[in-house]
Amino acid sequence: MKYLVLAGAALATLAAALLVGPANLPLADLASSPIVWQLRLPRAVLAFLVGGALGVAGTSLQALVRNPLADPFLLGLSGGAGLGAVAAIALHLPGPWALPLAAFVGAVGAMALVYRLGLVGGGELDPRILLLGGVAVGALAGAITTAIVSLAEATELRNAFLWLWGGFSGASWTTVLVMLAYAPLPLGVLIAAARPLDLLALGEEPAQYLGADVRRLKRVVYLAASLLTAAAVAVAGVIGFVGLVVPHVCRLLWGRLHRTLLPTAFLTGGVLLAAADTLARTVVAPRELPVGIVTALLGVPVFAFLLRRWTVG
Amino acid sequence: MRRWTVRTHLAGLVALAAATCARGERAPAAGPAVIDDAHRRVTLAVPARRIVSLLPSFTEMLFAIGAGDRLVGRTAWCDYPPAALAVPSVGDGIPPNVEAVAARRPDLVVLYRSGPNVTAAEQLERLGVRTVLFDLNRLEELGSVARRLGVLTGHRAAADSLARAMDSLVSQGPESPTPNPKSLAFIVWDNPPIVIGAGSFLDRLAGLAGAHNVFHDIATPSAQVSIETIAARNPDFIAVLSDTAAPPRYAGRPEWRVVPAVRKGRFLVLPGGLFGRPGPRAAEAVRELRRRLETTP
Repeated sequence: MKYLVLAGAALATLAAALLVGPANLPLADLASSPIVWQLRLPRAVLAFLVGGALGVAGTSLQALVRNPLADPFLLGLSGGAGLGAVAAIALHLPGPWALPLAAFVGAVGAMALVYRLGLVGGGELDPRILLLGGVAVGALAGAITTAIVSLAEATELRNAFLWLWGGFSGASWTTVLVMLAYAPLPLGVLIAAARPLDLLALGEEPAQYLGADVRRLKRVVYLAASLLTAAAVAVAGVIGFVGLVVPHVCRLLWGRLHRTLLPTAFLTGGVLLAAADTLARTVVAPRELPVGIVTALLGVPVFAFLLRRWTVG
Repeated sequence: MRRWTVRTHLAGLVALAAATCARGERAPAAGPAVIDDAHRRVTLAVPARRIVSLLPSFTEMLFAIGAGDRLVGRTAWCDYPPAALAVPSVGDGIPPNVEAVAARRPDLVVLYRSGPNVTAAEQLERLGVRTVLFDLNRLEELGSVARRLGVLTGHRAAADSLARAMDSLVSQGPESPTPNPKSLAFIVWDNPPIVIGAGSFLDRLAGLAGAHNVFHDIATPSAQVSIETIAARNPDFIAVLSDTAAPPRYAGRPEWRVVPAVRKGRFLVLPGGLFGRPGPRAAEAVRELRRRLETTP
């Protein structure tokens, strides 16, 4: 039932994304217009994929660190991506893929550093150290980014931040293909970890007694969720809020079992982000809003309503 | 009786001397004075002799009115006229390095009125350095800035004639209005796409060159739009500010090729030094844009 509802919502969102836009296309031309095929469709699909990836990454990381405030970008990834993007512009790296690739490398670099910090206590990944390490690495990357921005004399640096604040202006079939080729592996790894993630909610020791390989689980989930987030950064910049709120919404609506939580988080995240992007490019036309603003404007009231309903009930 | 007279004379002389001194102290009020765009009254005892300019447009303008030799500091961006490069740089000016500016011992610092610059001006004033803040976002503001710089530097005649040229440039319509004006969009960044709106001097520059900015309905200087909006507005030309003549790197990407002007390669690559800021060369920029509109296929 929930999958039918979500599939319906996804289809409706995609249809809306294809039908509306600043260019007034007659209905008859929709199927043949390059505006639909080269702009609206890849953009909607990419927004859906990125929203889904962030939803799943957020759900997994919240389960891993057992902290409801965890967000895919909390663990230093946004700082690392920002550093990569700014460095690419300051070094004048050529080519259209320089910026996204550098952001990806920066995010993965931050991830590796946080991962290494998480292991300082021995062979076991400590979720508390992960959180602290993530904040510290993010702050370090932010400081280096600011140093580059204030010392380098490149007018384009301001635009690196515009890019980093996220959005789907640069969506094309190429970015959709990159995401389609890349995302299934980490998504599959996380969905396969659904059962042990449920056990982890009981605490690390009980999960171990119940047969989960906790040590391996924590490493695999951390790496898969981070790599998924890094890919999202590379194609769409840092889009906040989806990865924080979608897991909570799904948990409130459909329970805590990760076997349903992960797929519903993917669909809900996709629907939320695709809808937010459609609004971002239409409500203030001819201008466009940064999509992160719309996700927050849409998500916070829904979230507050759900919280109220569930805590009162 | 006689002695008394001498005494009163002496007293009179002293009083007269005191009065002269008092007038002497008030003399700064008789020096150059203007009201700047932060609504402050800026007065100098004598025309400024050591000036720091913190905007390339002001540097160009000071040279244009013949006060270039008074400059003792400029920003790293001030590269025109070539003589400006001989003036010591005080950094990029965003925000101004107050210490580096004060170290040039200026008697006047010319700043663009922005939040951080207003703060820097207050700090400089506390150090005893006179500052003046000007708005310079539109071509219409050039004349008034030139006039006030002329007053502060004592180059009134040259400044007034530059100001008259600027005012007549903006008051005239296009020299030869074309029946079907060409349309263009200034694209200053591709991801996300940022275009120039009516709040920028570039919009006016395009109008004077006989072209229509398709984003004239956006009131702000610049705005983020979608590629679809650019495609729907369908400008004849895409204008980009760049110092290399090559078309921008996004020109070959499929999502951008939905815009007809991109697909046809109709780019106007405008030199950033001439088109990136409003200044005394505005008329030259208008002629250059008109020439490119006519010669670009």
